[in-house]
Amino acid sequence: MRVGIPKGLLYYKYYPFIERFLIELNVEVITSTDTNKNILNQGVKYCVDEACLPIKIFHGHIIDIKDKCDLLIIPRIMRTRAREFICPKFCGLPEMILYSIPNMPKVMIEPMYATNDKELYTWCKKLGEMITKDKSKIRDAFSKALEEQRNFKFGIKDEGFKKTIALVGHPYNLYDTFINMNIVKKLNKLGVGVITEECVEEEEIRAEAKTLFKRPFWTFATNAYGFTTSIAKNNELDGAIYISSFACGIDSVVLELINEKIEDFPFLVLKVDEHTGEGGLDTRIEAFIDMIERRKTNENNISAFGQHTSCS
Amino acid sequence: MKITFPHLGNTHLAAKALFDGLGIECIIPPFSSNEALELGSKFSPEEMCLPYKIMMGNYLQSIEKGADTIIIVGSCGPCRFGEYCELQMNALKKIGHDLTFIVIDSPFDIGKEEFLDRLAKISGNSTKGKVEKIRALKVAYDVIELIEKIESKAHYLTGFEVNKGDFKKLLKECKSNAAKASTPSQMVNILKEYKNKIKEIPINKHKVPVKIAIIGEIYTIIEPFSNLYIEDKLMDYGVTTKRMLTPSWWVKDMALSCLKLNSIGIRIASKEYLPYYIGGHGRECIGEVLLAEKENFDGAIQIFPMGCMPEIVSKAILPAISNDKDFPIMTLVVDEMTGEAGYVTRIEAFVDMLERRKNDVLYGS
Repeated sequence: MRVGIPKGLLYYKYYPFIERFLIELNVEVITSTDTNKNILNQGVKYCVDEACLPIKIFHGHIIDIKDKCDLLIIPRIMRTRAREFICPKFCGLPEMILYSIPNMPKVMIEPMYATNDKELYTWCKKLGEMITKDKSKIRDAFSKALEEQRNFKFGIKDEGFKKTIALVGHPYNLYDTFINMNIVKKLNKLGVGVITEECVEEEEIRAEAKTLFKRPFWTFATNAYGFTTSIAKNNELDGAIYISSFACGIDSVVLELINEKIEDFPFLVLKVDEHTGEGGLDTRIEAFIDMIERRKTNENNISAFGQHTSCS
Repeated sequence: MKITFPHLGNTHLAAKALFDGLGIECIIPPFSSNEALELGSKFSPEEMCLPYKIMMGNYLQSIEKGADTIIIVGSCGPCRFGEYCELQMNALKKIGHDLTFIVIDSPFDIGKEEFLDRLAKISGNSTKGKVEKIRALKVAYDVIELIEKIESKAHYLTGFEVNKGDFKKLLKECKSNAAKASTPSQMVNILKEYKNKIKEIPINKHKVPVKIAIIGEIYTIIEPFSNLYIEDKLMDYGVTTKRMLTPSWWVKDMALSCLKLNSIGIRIASKEYLPYYIGGHGRECIGEVLLAEKENFDGAIQIFPMGCMPEIVSKAILPAISNDKDFPIMTLVVDEMTGEAGYVTRIEAFVDMLERRKNDVLYGS
């Protein structure tokens, strides 16, 4: 049996788990190819127009893989933390796909509440039962997969660069090098190191999020907000770049909250959509880095006009 | 304390009845208009959805009239609406308005004590006794139920009217008279009077009007300004419309959702296409279409603000329903840039298409 995993959305965060789980069940695992122009075009063709870039790309991955496998996993991740959500589109993702793409193979679309091991196991059991009848095998595979996921080191933490900036955003925007046009490499080339939210303690992120009047109910919103405000407070890094997909409802809120809090900490928002041109992106990054440099060395953060300058 | 609140269809009548009954001064913002929207957009994040911007406009116009306390209901996701209060608080503070915000969240999310505390902030300013307070709440609920009944009846019967424009005229009169009422009980009486009056309007039962269901995001279908008065427009065309989502539906839905007894009909209907709650009213949207199809409606119009996350999911599903059930569905996306002419053209074309499909074109043959 061949089981297909589309390489989009939270694949980048949970692939060690799902791949190990399936391998342990002795099935052939097939992933779609890395995101490329063709996948994007296919996604745009089939997906509903109003959706955001990552969702469109996910549709493209489904097209890429759907005829190559017997069982296709379309994750319906309802939540990864208690009383928090990811995004409404994640909850309805299987429906979006099933009603927009014709000729789908057998699919796995059970909802996943990954708030604790037990809840996660419920989902894995359902997936496992589609493949094998051996229950102990499923349990074994589950614990091995969980271990693999826990031991896997996520996040980017560059060292040895003169300047370091934080890269913020939803995981699929940060780790899909097609969406962000390989921004990490671009920054490294400019002599700038990058760190991501995984390098900050979760407690610190939570503590920052607690200062809000309203408990943020999106997992990525909590992370992005907590991470950015805590590094801005500690002032150890030189700036932050937020990669946001156009028309993302969550980002429209989080960016506002972050801007409110960090005052004049250098902060750049890069909007990506299916038309993003690489030249424009380069220019913006370069300008941002130049600005950080000047702020640090030449101008000492005081403008000639006696006014406070800000890079945000 | 001068309380204000954002507009949502006819809720201003109920709110007026409630606060008058409680003896608290309240300021009803001027009806949502282009001016309010422009003012609101000026102080809103660019990518925010339309309801936020109109609400901001409502607040700012009320503040001009002296309001110092804002009441808004909340939710805890996954739709953006739950975050409105925080952003709006910050935004108003930034432009120098020192206001009290009272956010009525679900007690399950903020805890029972906090919930009661917040309610006490409102009722603490009332000099009335406990019995009177409860009576005020009851009267407010009566008001909203009455006006909704009148409104939905008028919308439904428009297709059957003998003299064109009767129902629209009556509805307009009813709303403006109710708003002028000096006491809550007088308002209830006025509404009751109109409820009887609507029965006297002559109708032709043998007519077969075009019937359209209005579905989509709750704010944009209830607040007439945000959908460019689509229901009034359809009344002008002599089209019968039906909209299931109303403020009182929302109240009942919230109250019953903890027992999981809310909107069972919609839930059963939507099961085939969207079996999970995805936030906002995405699932309701799907359920309503399927119900409308069963009730022999001719078509449905989905309206949502640009970027609305749950409705994008339902929009992806609607074409499949439309195909399977042979049921025309049109989607209209509104934002602050929506031009009226283009919008009207689309509605007219849709109504024309439904009419032809019904009468003289042998579609599908």
